[in-house]
Order: sequence, then C-alpha cells, then structure tokens
Amino acid sequence: MAMIEFAHVGKRYGGRFEALADLNFNVERGEMVFLTGHSGAGKSSVLRLLMALERPSRGRIAVAGHDITNLHVSHIPFYRRQIGVVYQNHQLLFDRSVFDNVALPLVIQGATPQDARRRVHAALDKIGLLHRERALPIELSGGEQQRVGIARAVVTKPAMLLADEPTGNLDPQLSADIMRLFEDFNRIGTTVLLASHDLALIARLRHRVLKLRDGRLIGDEEAA
Amino acid sequence: MSQKPRRNPQQDTEKPHRPSQGTEKSRRGARSHQITFESRTRAWRRHHGQMAVDSLYRLRRRPLSTLMTMLAIAIAMVLPASLWLALGSAQLLDSNLDDTARMTLYLDPALSESQAMDITDQVRGESDIASTELITAAAGLESFQQRLGMSDALAMMEDNPLPATILVQPRSRDPDAAQALAERLGQIEGVTDARLDMAWLERLRQLSELGRRVVLAFGVLFALGVLLVVGNTIRLAVESRRQEIEVVTLIGATHAFVRRPFLYVGVWYGLGGGILALLLLTLGRRWLSAPIDMLASGFGSHFSLPGIGLGGSALLLICSTMLGLVGAWLAVSRHLAEISPR
Repeated sequence: MAMIEFAHVGKRYGGRFEALADLNFNVERGEMVFLTGHSGAGKSSVLRLLMALERPSRGRIAVAGHDITNLHVSHIPFYRRQIGVVYQNHQLLFDRSVFDNVALPLVIQGATPQDARRRVHAALDKIGLLHRERALPIELSGGEQQRVGIARAVVTKPAMLLADEPTGNLDPQLSADIMRLFEDFNRIGTTVLLASHDLALIARLRHRVLKLRDGRLIGDEEAA
Repeated sequence: MSQKPRRNPQQDTEKPHRPSQGTEKSRRGARSHQITFESRTRAWRRHHGQMAVDSLYRLRRRPLSTLMTMLAIAIAMVLPASLWLALGSAQLLDSNLDDTARMTLYLDPALSESQAMDITDQVRGESDIASTELITAAAGLESFQQRLGMSDALAMMEDNPLPATILVQPRSRDPDAAQALAERLGQIEGVTDARLDMAWLERLRQLSELGRRVVLAFGVLFALGVLLVVGNTIRLAVESRRQEIEVVTLIGATHAFVRRPFLYVGVWYGLGGGILALLLLTLGRRWLSAPIDMLASGFGSHFSLPGIGLGGSALLLICSTMLGLVGAWLAVSRHLAEISPR
C-alpha cells in the first residue's frame, strides 16, 4: 500500500494563483524520495498539504490509505502526531532546553515522564547530542540545532518523515551528515519525503527524485 | 553515531499495566505508539497540574502588570458588588415584601370585646383569608403608649380613642383580588372601614425593581469590562507566545492543549481580581462604618453596614474566576481560528 497518494491534486491561492496543478504521484511505504524544483515550483505546497496545514482545492490526498483531503479540524492534531516534520528553520523553542524541545511531542501525546525521558534520550543518542540535553538551543550551532529538530521529529517513531529544505542553511559537510541521518531512519522503515533544491547533494544520494515546475510534475526518476 | 536501530519501548517489561501495547509488538521500524485511556487521563491531569503551576510562575515573573490587571478586574467587580450590598442593606432586595396586600379592618368603637371576637371569627370564615389577628382597643392603646412614650397624654383622656382592629392577611398576592376582598370585608356589619395599605408598599416594590435592574445593568456592563480586560491581556500573552503555539500545533497539539495554559492564566487573573475586590469591599466597609454608626445612633438605631458574608464572597470569587476563564477562552479561540487550515 502506498504511504502517500496524490490524485489530481490542485491548489489555488486567493482564487487565481495556481500553486499546484493536477499533481499525481505515489510514495510507497519505506521509500525515501526527494522533491525538487525551483522556489515557487510547489515543493512547500506539497508539504503543507501533507501536514494538513492547507487543504487542496482539487483532487484527493491519502496518507497510509486514509483520505486526508477533508480531514475534520478536530482530527488534524491526531493525524499530525503520525508524521514527523523537519523544518528549514527547525522551529525549536528557544526558552527551553534541548531535552524539553525533543520531549514536546511526547508531552503533547501524554507519555509518562519516565517513558518520555527514555525516548528522548534514545533520540538524542541517535543524533549524537545526548551530552547537550541541558543546553538551550541558542547555545548550539546551526547544524546541531537542525539535528535537535530531527530528534524531535522522530522521537514518536512516526511512520512518515517530511523535511522542508532541512539542509538549507548548512555547509556541504553538515548537509551530508544530516542526509545520512535521514537515510538511517529510512533504513529502519520510515518513509521519508524530503524537499530540497540542493541538486548536487541529491545526485550523490541516489534516491527517487520527484521534479516539480510551476506546480506540475515534470520528472520522476527512480533511484539509480 | 550509533547505527543500531532503537528497540521498541513497547516491549519493555516495566509496564505490565498496559496490556494493549503487548499486541503492538515490534513491527520493524516506525510505528506510532499506542496510549491507553487510563494513561491518557493521567497525562491529562498531569498537564493540567503543570499548566496551573507554570501559568502562576509566568504571572509572578511580571508582578506589576499582573497586579494591575487584577486590580482592574477588582475595581470592575467592586462597583456592582457594593451597589448590591447598599440595596441589600435598604432591604429593597429582600423578597420579604410579601405582606403587600395586608389589610386592616377598623371596627365600630361601640362594639364590645366579645362582639369584636365574633366579627373576627366571621372574617376568618370568609374565603381567601390566610390569617387574622384581632387587636382589641385596650391592646392597641397599650402598644401605642409603649411605642410613642405618650402615656401621660393618653392617660388624661377619659375614653380610649382607638377602635379595635383586625389585621387580615389574604391568601392571594394579587392586588386586584386583595382590593375586592377589602371591599367585601368592608360590608360586614360592625366594620367601619377596611383599609388596604398597599400604595407605599407598591412604590417600594417598584423602587426595589428599579434598584435590581440598575444592579443588573451595572453587573452586566462591568462583567463585560472584566471580559475585555482579561481578553486583552491574554491576547497579548498569546501574541508573545505565537511561535510556541504554532510549533506545538504543528506537532499535533489539540486546541485544548494549546488553550490550557492561557485558561489557567485567565483563572488566576479572575481569582486574584476577586480576592482584591473582597479586600477593597472590606476596607471600604471599615472606612464607612464609623460615620454610619454615628449617624444611626443619632436616630436611636443600631443599623450597621452589612458585610458581603461568606456566601457573597464565594459568589463573587466564582463570578470573577469564571469571567477570567471565559475572557481567556475567547481570546485564545480567536487566535486558534486564525491558524486553522484553509
């Protein structure tokens, strides 16, 4: 069964600007897929639709077999708990520690403090920042902040990981490290959809690439 | 960096009270964990406790602005509350004005005491009578003397100038029916006059209705004021935590979760404002009580300002807390509606 299904999806803003037009693609369970295109090509729109931040104007989107096109507002939080999202600006809360940032999704889902501590430690260990759990995000480097953002996205073990330009602000070496992390999570079964315009990086990584232009799919290259 | 996939914590043996998780055995890789109803309730309570304390800390971090908000609420609560108390002390709000339709029957002074009793029995036999009370001429004179201290002047009179009277309490509270009854009783032989003294009581009742409405109008206006004060303050708090709200919403927080800390802030504002209002009322009462005591003693009365009392205090605190809660709810809900998907 496909993890993500887009069927004839269109998205218009303000009735005129067409961000996405008749978009069709599937992402299978356990796949790792890059989404590329110039800025304004529709990458962010695709991710925003998948995060249920917006609704499509036309077509149908299904995630893990569930139609999310017209998800009721009260169901959206529970849908979002099933996916992990990594942002370009990592969206950390700067008034609390690394530990508390990573624990946030668990607090929201009502995990016990003991359970949360174990999971947060596991996630921080995975990204190699266990020793910084007491630090405030502001004390970390850009690459470290991004890794904390990843830890927060995976701490609930979501079936699907979305990332919007996760390496946008990082130098090539750090970008490669971050990508390796995503590949690790993909290796243990997580579906990963990653929007990026870093074509050199993408070419090196040999995964399926969906290419967007003006809201349309213009290329779907299988992993080499 | 460790490449080892994390073990699924659902397999841990230290949680035997979560049987539903046993069936979720480690399917490889990502799998969202299940949380039982019981543990969710516990988590819900835990979050409530955390937010109650956390919001208190946030208020304490800005003591001056917190105090000012609470004071604004207190002032808005004190005005209608003191008006209510003032009306209550004039007993205008007392609903014991039920003897509106009480009437007095004046008997022929020539009648003897036993004849007066017969007439009383006859009146009691009429329909629609709740109770009757005969005041003989002698008893009337005695109470008159006692009340006015004019025993000397009255003692100089040869005859008792007062007629015997019968106080009648009709069963019906309807003024028209009472009027009809008074006319009917006035026809009885030996009754010289049946007087229904309800004109001033009627006026008092109208006055009390006016007072009640004024209090209600002020109450509603000032309640709106409290809502605006709390709503505006919470709106600023929401504004300053906009990013946090956005982030927790993105990672699956329900509206209730987002709302919770702000609702507690509203509750604390309301409760604090209510307590300050009680304090102001007590101070005001103490300040006014000395001149009022002097004034009352000049009239030979023991009147003193009524306090708000335990019930009144509780009511005031409940009202102010509820207003704080509702104000916060409105402010946060407006913001949440703005960030819902379109």
